[in-house]
Amino acid sequence: MPRSADATLPHRPLRLAGGAAIALAIAALIGTLFWAILHAAAGQAATGPGVDLGDLIYITTLQAVLSTGLSLLAGVALAWALNRLRFHGRGLLIGLFASAIVTPGLVVAFGLLSVWGRAGWLGFAGVPIFGLGGVVAAHVLLDGAFAARILLARLDAIPAARLKTGQSLGLTPWTRFAVIDWPALRGTLPGLAAIIFLLAFTSFPIVLLLGGGPAVQTLEIAIYSAVRLDFNLGLAVQLALIQIALCAVIILASAALAPISASLDRPAEPRWRDAGWARAAQWLVLALALFGFASPLLATLLDGIAGLDSVLAQPAFWNAVWTSLWIGAVSALLTLALALLIATGRAAASSRLARVLLGAPAYAYLAVPAVTLSLGAFILVRDLGIGPVVAAPAVVVIANALLSLPFAMATLAPPVEAIARSRGRLIRSLNLGGWRQFAEIEWPLLARDAGLVVALGFCFSLGDLGVIALFGTQDFTTLPLLMVRALGAYRTHDAASIAALMLVLTIAAFVLLPRLIGRLADART
Amino acid sequence: MARAAAPSRTIYVNPRRMAATLKDTGMLRSASLALAAFLALTAAAVAADKPTLTIYTYDAFAADYGPGPGLKAGFEKMCGCTVDIVAADSSIGALRKVQLEGATTPADIVLGLDTSVAGEARATGLFAPHGLTLTGLSLPARWTDPDFVPVDFGYFAFVYDKTKVKVPPTSFEALIKEPASFKVVLEDPRSDTPGLGLVLWIKAAYGDRAPEIWAGLKPHIATMARSWSDAYGLFLKGEADMALSYTTSPAYHAIAENNPNYAYAEFTEGFYPQIEIAGVLKSSAHQELAKQFLGWLVTPEAQAVIPTTNWMYPVTALGDKLPAAFPAAPAKVLSLDENAITANKAAWIEEALAAIR
Amino acid sequence: MLALEDVTFAYAGSNPYCFSMTAEAGTVTAIRGASGAGKSTLLDLVAGFLAPASGVVRIGGQDVTALPPERRPVSILFQSETLFEHLSAARNVALGLPRPDAARVEAALAEVGLADLGPQRAATLSGGQKQRVALARTLLRDRPVLLLDEPFSALDDDTRATTRTLVRDLTLKHRWATVLVTHHADDIAAIADRVYVLQGGTLRAQP
Repeated sequence: MPRSADATLPHRPLRLAGGAAIALAIAALIGTLFWAILHAAAGQAATGPGVDLGDLIYITTLQAVLSTGLSLLAGVALAWALNRLRFHGRGLLIGLFASAIVTPGLVVAFGLLSVWGRAGWLGFAGVPIFGLGGVVAAHVLLDGAFAARILLARLDAIPAARLKTGQSLGLTPWTRFAVIDWPALRGTLPGLAAIIFLLAFTSFPIVLLLGGGPAVQTLEIAIYSAVRLDFNLGLAVQLALIQIALCAVIILASAALAPISASLDRPAEPRWRDAGWARAAQWLVLALALFGFASPLLATLLDGIAGLDSVLAQPAFWNAVWTSLWIGAVSALLTLALALLIATGRAAASSRLARVLLGAPAYAYLAVPAVTLSLGAFILVRDLGIGPVVAAPAVVVIANALLSLPFAMATLAPPVEAIARSRGRLIRSLNLGGWRQFAEIEWPLLARDAGLVVALGFCFSLGDLGVIALFGTQDFTTLPLLMVRALGAYRTHDAASIAALMLVLTIAAFVLLPRLIGRLADART
Repeated sequence: MARAAAPSRTIYVNPRRMAATLKDTGMLRSASLALAAFLALTAAAVAADKPTLTIYTYDAFAADYGPGPGLKAGFEKMCGCTVDIVAADSSIGALRKVQLEGATTPADIVLGLDTSVAGEARATGLFAPHGLTLTGLSLPARWTDPDFVPVDFGYFAFVYDKTKVKVPPTSFEALIKEPASFKVVLEDPRSDTPGLGLVLWIKAAYGDRAPEIWAGLKPHIATMARSWSDAYGLFLKGEADMALSYTTSPAYHAIAENNPNYAYAEFTEGFYPQIEIAGVLKSSAHQELAKQFLGWLVTPEAQAVIPTTNWMYPVTALGDKLPAAFPAAPAKVLSLDENAITANKAAWIEEALAAIR
Repeated sequence: MLALEDVTFAYAGSNPYCFSMTAEAGTVTAIRGASGAGKSTLLDLVAGFLAPASGVVRIGGQDVTALPPERRPVSILFQSETLFEHLSAARNVALGLPRPDAARVEAALAEVGLADLGPQRAATLSGGQKQRVALARTLLRDRPVLLLDEPFSALDDDTRATTRTLVRDLTLKHRWATVLVTHHADDIAAIADRVYVLQGGTLRAQP
């Protein structure tokens, strides 16, 4: 482990060790899962159809590149508009956009259809919702809104003096963007692009529902079918490794590229309004985003009203709510702990290589196909002799925490880095211990971001259950599983109501948790 | 609404599992904890000399409103045993789980596979012959399978809303001739049984002409969903004029929702059946009990649970106990040889997907 | 040139400010005050970043109270953040012009003694050089009022002296009304023609 040689950084061997231990543990976990599958696959005769790998990689990459590019474009435009405009309900709206990334894909896909489908509100417009266009549109809605939330934080943190200088110079809206906004955004874009690319690359329910058939699919789906249909574990591992290798290129590139650029200044109250046309454009962007993003969610909520009575009367529903809540809470706290350990460890490292090595495993998990995780976890738990009923909650908690880790890192790592760089000398000269550094300097500055991380972790576990698909867990039911079951039994109204309630829970968590945790931290200082 | 008695939530009296749940989650409040512990102890005392029959099946079958609870209660009344129904996310998932667990699987029975994967399941060598003489069955074809017992069956069909589609197509070729705006939603044959069923249906009806039919269908395919539930959900949302489902689907709407507007399209090529099956695992320690369950499963008593919980036909004639909304069997039923399916399934799927790619 | 007539302003929950002062063309007017006395508030009111509760701001006899910052005949220089770090010195100067004009940018840089530094990125300049570039930009904008917010605080003594001299020379040459906000007595002694003390929310002229 390279030692912190930089004299401006406090010497923190424990932090380095902690970060390295977590990074190693994640890498080891992924390795073990693969080993378990290969072990089970040994001696299995290779069967099943060959896969046209070239075509698969081409279409997956094309879809992911389009989704990423357009999401970033939409995110920048929306962040630009939100940074300039002030109106009632702005905070709520930002919470709504931030929740996009964790909104269950299936919920959004059905919501999109309620609006743009041929029987939807705007069905007459004849927008082709199935196919590559539909898939990319769904991704842009989800990931673009999330990108906007992250980018907005960077814009809001631009120092007041810089804005005043620009304003007194009378910069045009375009020059203002190019000279003031863009430099503030630029540093965040590579990391954000990597996350969105990985999400789109491994997208599953949205591609399956809106892809329109076998022409549009992802490697992830091919892996799923290799496991489920052909039971060709060798091929599945092979495809999974290809997916990880491709994603690793992206992860490493972004980890190496991303410069440290975070300002800890308190955001200035904006008094600088752009000229007429730009302001009109900002309202237009906001209206489009609101319409594009909020309308499917609104449709989901409205669709959910019909079955509400029946759902609320089911004990199974309340059971699932309870399970979802505690699973969400535990994995959210685990996410926060892991992210803080890795981020502080990474910030304590002075060599570039060490920083990349510490950061990469956090992202790697996103590249591992869900079905591989599910399969590996099942075999592993079984090999260890743990009953699936006991293991299921633990596996879900760990899997969900790791799934939200990249987002937690994207949120927490830049401010942690910034503190280490900008306050490092002071901390060193005061000879503060690691714990006091955290409790008195880092935590008060990070609390609000930590709230966002907890909300992320909470909502991610609310939306996902894929990892225990094989465990056979009749007694362990969360909301998404309940929704899928209702859908599988013709009970579309029940499913719609559960989707709507999940959405309400997600948005509430996103609006309330960051405020709550921010307030707790404020009360202490 | 004629639904089999399904208690709001079945309380398992499986002491192993209950103890595990309590130990693990610790989420019950102390009062209910004490009560539950008491129940668990009593259950343990009662269950000490009772064998447990473990059945792996698919999610919807095991769900509260599926046939699982009814069958469990019915069999437990007479077997002196405990039935533990374990749900995987799909029937093929249940099979994969047993394959992964190998000889140490706790499962005694795998229930819910269908005839299109029977050959593959048989080839795993995990299933034991059932040794039962099955009489009085009412199935599309005579049942001669030595390993698997039929559970229920249906015919794949395109379902439509009579208020929206006045004149439904009467064959695949008529469907192809519809204007391009006439859409159907299908299931992906790689991930869902009705999807695979359609591949077999077209193969059985058209043989070597199957790719031509698939190519003709291409402009009419709104999307190929991952699962039946997604596909049917899309259809109910109005995204397509027809959905690939079962001839019995309209009965659900008629009985459970009192909505007589749904029907299935009569195709002149004939219909391809899906027969869901159950088999006993060689590794099971309760061979006799498992076979007793399979034997009981085809009795009218057990089969009466099926129609209004799984919305499929019972494999034994129920006479007037079968709701009137269930349609009569189609005039022409297609079939394919099991060995041909097992040998060619992958190629047929690839052929179909290639034609619409 | 610049006149504040009973300009009042109050932040929520704190005592109100009331400012009256004048600054003549071709002179440096210094505002002295302790930290937190309201120096930045005063500058924000003159530059238009804050709107007064009452009172009038006049420049050249004209009431500019209602004008937004970008339309006021005012240039402002902060202690930091005067330049956009990722742009070249020349590009930073050019931002003072409605449209780029290489010759004028060149001339302005020469006037502040940085003729060769045009292509260099602002981030690589020293503190004194940065303030000179900002002054070059002010030259091109040719606004009659120049506001300086602790502009020399980050500079070493020698650079400080030369930058100060440059400010005074330019003020004289271009007939600016320069307002210098500082808490350094030596800055005031060196270049101020007139001094106000900011205390208790009001300005008091110092003889």
